Amino acid sequence: MSDVTLSSTPLPPRAKRRRKKRDLTSAGAVAAIMIALVALWQISAARGWINGQLFGSPAGIVKTAQIGFTQGTLVPDTLATLYETVVGLVLGSGLGIGLGLLLWFVPRVSGIAEGFSVLLNSIPKIALGPLIVIWFGSDMTSKVWLAGISTFAVAMISSCAAAREVDRDLLNLFRSFNARPSMIFRKLIVPGALPWIFSTLRVNIGFALIGAVVGEYIASQAGLGHEVFVAGSLFDLNTVWLGIIVLTLMATLLTWIVQFAEKRIVTWKTKR
Amino acid sequence: MPMPSSTLTSARGAAASSARLSVAQLTHSFEAEEGGAVPIFAGLDFSVGSGEIVSIVGRSGAGKSTLFNLISGLLPPQSGRIAVGQRADGSPGRIAYMLQKDLLLPWRSVLENAVLGIELFRKVTAQDLERARQMLARYGLGAVADAYPHALSGGMRQRVALTRTLLVEPTLVLLDEPFSALDYETRLALEDDVMALRQSNGTSVVLVTHDIEEAIAMSDRVIILGGRPARIEQALDIKLTVEGARTAISAREAPEFRTWHAQIWGALRGHTTQPGGLAA
Repeated sequence: MSDVTLSSTPLPPRAKRRRKKRDLTSAGAVAAIMIALVALWQISAARGWINGQLFGSPAGIVKTAQIGFTQGTLVPDTLATLYETVVGLVLGSGLGIGLGLLLWFVPRVSGIAEGFSVLLNSIPKIALGPLIVIWFGSDMTSKVWLAGISTFAVAMISSCAAAREVDRDLLNLFRSFNARPSMIFRKLIVPGALPWIFSTLRVNIGFALIGAVVGEYIASQAGLGHEVFVAGSLFDLNTVWLGIIVLTLMATLLTWIVQFAEKRIVTWKTKR
Repeated sequence: MPMPSSTLTSARGAAASSARLSVAQLTHSFEAEEGGAVPIFAGLDFSVGSGEIVSIVGRSGAGKSTLFNLISGLLPPQSGRIAVGQRADGSPGRIAYMLQKDLLLPWRSVLENAVLGIELFRKVTAQDLERARQMLARYGLGAVADAYPHALSGGMRQRVALTRTLLVEPTLVLLDEPFSALDYETRLALEDDVMALRQSNGTSVVLVTHDIEEAIAMSDRVIILGGRPARIEQALDIKLTVEGARTAISAREAPEFRTWHAQIWGALRGHTTQPGGLAA
């Protein structure tokens, strides 16, 4: 027996450190450029180089945020949109992923179902907005539906593909061990599809957010989309900017949460 | 996708005498694109005895992979019989296979990968885990039992695959080019591991390979497949004079080694369609 040694990790520590340093440097550069742009914007608005009414200004946004946070509806609006997005994302993606994976058991049906979901996916989901509002009203339910519909087809198509693309040799190996289909599903198909599921979830955060916000544009009593829409029609640009900033932070936060879960669950990919 | 399970046990046909594997009148063909049938095998017969190592060599396209799939039960034969002999105590025999790809699951630790075969047909007991740890330790993997496959070298990964294969206690191990992706030294070590199987538990081995040296070094018998439909052109009982135990290295140093090599090489080349082409 030849002597055995642990193969080195793909990146030696020094290269890893170097890469980390490079990441930090570029993050610093991004921050510096952002700060410079914001400062330029503020100076331009204060000196009257640009029309503050049409462009808003950083100072105005901060003031709007303060008022919104202390006296206004910023917090409940944020929570409303967050709720619609998260519930829609979880239900839509959850159902899509579950159905897409389970279709592995019935290859014949899977082709048909995939055809339908491709069709569903090619509908611009936003165009369904008015329908959804008529069916489910103008409260949060209709936004949850819109966010859910926006994520369902993508989740189903990609998990269906992930289950189908499983390594044929691995499948044969399981069969050679006389594994029952339910065993193959639990111990091969599902864990094998996990990396795809997580990347789908990351993409779907954006889709769910668009669904919720556009739903709020169409008809709503609350939510960041509602605020942005109302403020836009009143030329209150600072509120519009504030809404956009909070939505961006929300998307970033959700992406972080999904990435954190992915790192915890899909350890064999992130360890590389 | 569900598929009828194809357990190759003696229940599927009484095994001839004490053979671990008997292939009788095996006939199989593929559908050609134009609709005709391309015969792969027409009445193939051979058997593998207890503790015997048999290599099947042939040129590319001779039907080696098809034969592998038929024996392993992944492909049902169109006619003929493939029977796996019973164990000495009368319980059904069992085939396990190993490919060039180690097919380890990246989300399972080395130990969890090793017990996969057991886990797929019954609950894994503490005793199974203990046995798995012992076998891993025997193959020099004791320290990495709880590591994940991506941390291992190719040779180590293939040893985990071997452990997984052996833990289901097969009566016959079927190998398809299992070591061709490994470096020479690791490969010799693994060849020794496989050759040691029959001494320790009388496991029979069928090795499908294009590597003539590997076939000669490891086998009791080399079966040369050729022609279309493929038939057994020659079955050579490999006798090597070695000092002490036969190992991957001592076998290659045997005086008869070159002669066997030349004979098999000649037999394979005899059916080259392009004159002078390399039959490997």
